[in-house]
Amino acid sequence: MTHPPIAALKLSLILVLATLLLAGIGIVWSRGKAHDAHAVLERQQATHAQARQTLARSRDQQRLIQTHLGEYQTLSARGFVGPEMRLAWIEAVQLANQAAGLYGLEYRLAPRIAAAPELAQGIPLGQTALSISMPLLVESDLPRFLAALRARAPGIYRVQDCRLSRPGHESFDAVNLPRLRAECTLLWYTVPQPQGDAS
Amino acid sequence: MIMSGRRLILLATPRYIGVLDWRPGHMHWLGTFGAGEADLADFRRVVEKHAHLPALVVADTVDEDYRSEVLPHVRGQARAELLARKLRQVFRNARFTGAWRQTRATAGRRDDRYLLAALTDADWMTPWLAVLHRARVPLYGITPLAVASQYLLARLRAQEAHTLLAYRLDNRLRLSYYQNGLLRFSRLISSDTPTQLPGNAADEIAKTQLYLTGQRILPREARLHVLLLDPSGQLDTAQAQLNTDPAFNTRLIDLADLGRALRIPEDFLAATPEIVPLAAIAAETLPLNLAPPELLQHHTEFRWRRGLHMLAGGVAALGLVVTAAFWLHAQDLHSQAQTLALEQKQLDARYRAIARTFPAHVASPEQLAHTVQLARTLSGHTLDVDALYGAVGGVLAAYPDFRLEALGWRSDAPQTAKDAAIQLDAALAGFDGNYRAAMQRIERFMQDLSAMPNLSDVRLRVSPVSADPGGTLAGRTRTPGGTGEQVARFSLEFRFREAGS
Repeated sequence: MTHPPIAALKLSLILVLATLLLAGIGIVWSRGKAHDAHAVLERQQATHAQARQTLARSRDQQRLIQTHLGEYQTLSARGFVGPEMRLAWIEAVQLANQAAGLYGLEYRLAPRIAAAPELAQGIPLGQTALSISMPLLVESDLPRFLAALRARAPGIYRVQDCRLSRPGHESFDAVNLPRLRAECTLLWYTVPQPQGDAS
Repeated sequence: MIMSGRRLILLATPRYIGVLDWRPGHMHWLGTFGAGEADLADFRRVVEKHAHLPALVVADTVDEDYRSEVLPHVRGQARAELLARKLRQVFRNARFTGAWRQTRATAGRRDDRYLLAALTDADWMTPWLAVLHRARVPLYGITPLAVASQYLLARLRAQEAHTLLAYRLDNRLRLSYYQNGLLRFSRLISSDTPTQLPGNAADEIAKTQLYLTGQRILPREARLHVLLLDPSGQLDTAQAQLNTDPAFNTRLIDLADLGRALRIPEDFLAATPEIVPLAAIAAETLPLNLAPPELLQHHTEFRWRRGLHMLAGGVAALGLVVTAAFWLHAQDLHSQAQTLALEQKQLDARYRAIARTFPAHVASPEQLAHTVQLARTLSGHTLDVDALYGAVGGVLAAYPDFRLEALGWRSDAPQTAKDAAIQLDAALAGFDGNYRAAMQRIERFMQDLSAMPNLSDVRLRVSPVSADPGGTLAGRTRTPGGTGEQVARFSLEFRFREAGS
């Protein structure tokens, strides 16, 4: 079957070529379809897995909400969650000062800044420094003041530092005058209300 | 080797040509056509109608010649050239010649034994072949009737080593000798010789046996097995005559035997006895082809065309199968994706149902929990100032000459609220300028502070005097009983840790 008679086989050769072409087109087309379908399936599998994870996580979220919602609402009521309550803080230190029977105080509220990231841990935690300075008669006035403040303070705060000093070197006089001065820095923490707040 | 596929098998004699349309399990006799103009036209019409079928011509003529030759064993082109040279040498100008390599010697040079054959006068066949050629019939061979009859022997299970087939067809008697089933010699006794008589047929068989023995084709001591094949039944009497000679062993083949061997109904065989050798060779590969190459050109094209068409069919089938497989796979993937999409919608719906129970004023449940946890951390503890006073005051009580000027603490992080850095500023009352004594007193004070269980890391931050070699040290000492008080101020820092932390 050597030396094929090409001239007599033109139509047959064209038929073979046409068949090859059509078969190739069919294979490429169907392969593309299969490839596309595979990509669609992979995307759908990823979406499906995401939906399954979301559903599984929702059960954990339900449990988290059941566990923490009451406490969260309490924190919101106390002012930890929401806008700054500067007036309430000032009022609290004044009331604590009065309750401790002290002699007034001076205060200064700094602008709110973001708390250190290692403390905030992803929460938009802000801190506002309240510096107070007040005269004391005896050293124990300071813990009494702090205890009174703790009993009245709205929100959450922390005493960052305190300094108790005797400004002058007056000799002891048996008079009831405050010769000590306390200077403290209180940090008030707040978390802004999330967007879409309905309450 | 068995060949399959529909084909035309033609029996060509000088007087007529018969056409058999054959395919496995089925055959149709298209008729016989004489050499006249009208018959030739009919033959042409039949051939043109079946021009797409490969065709084989079985020639039955007296003008044939056979020669057995032993030639050196060569292969390939050398064999082709050797045979062509030998055929030219033996048959001179014969157009229809062929060689059949039948066996190879097992000893000596291991030469090949060939059967050379030729149609010495084939002019009578020219009109038939011209019709076939003009109709572009793919003729794949021309072979003698004796070769076709060889396959009839196999069908009849005639396995004797020396067989002579006496085949009577159209009042002509063909005697063919087969050795071990392979054709060695054949001759046709034409109807113009007086062989119509059965006794003459027996004589012809006996003469043929003598010829074969004389030519040393048939061994002298061999007993010749004679098969008498005559659908007309005229050779029956020859059997009795031959059986009287012990050199012969005869067997009469009747229509029933033929019908069973060829699987053809008897009535069909009786009506068309010509089909016997044609049906026998129809499915077989041709061992001896007398057709010159130029007559096989259409069959070469036919084979190429058939091969290409099969290739095209295979490619189309493969393409179809692969396309279908990919398409079905794609449909399966789509189906899986749709199922997943449905499941995903159900999961989303279930999630939305759960999410509707979440409070609206919370960004996320995780943030809610985190916020609560953070609030706990921030409000967890505040420094116990009374404990600090107690620890420092307890030590200071032993040092009435130390005047406390300031006490401060600082806790940098909520986590370390129980651990504060303390700074203590004090002065020595009644300092007489003796810094050595003052420093000893301060150091003792520091040791006492360090001895307290909740105070640690006591360090002198500011000394009342600097003994640094690089600095200037100036002062004034007080005479005993002198007036005026000097002040020796110092500052300490240490850490306070609440009990239990």
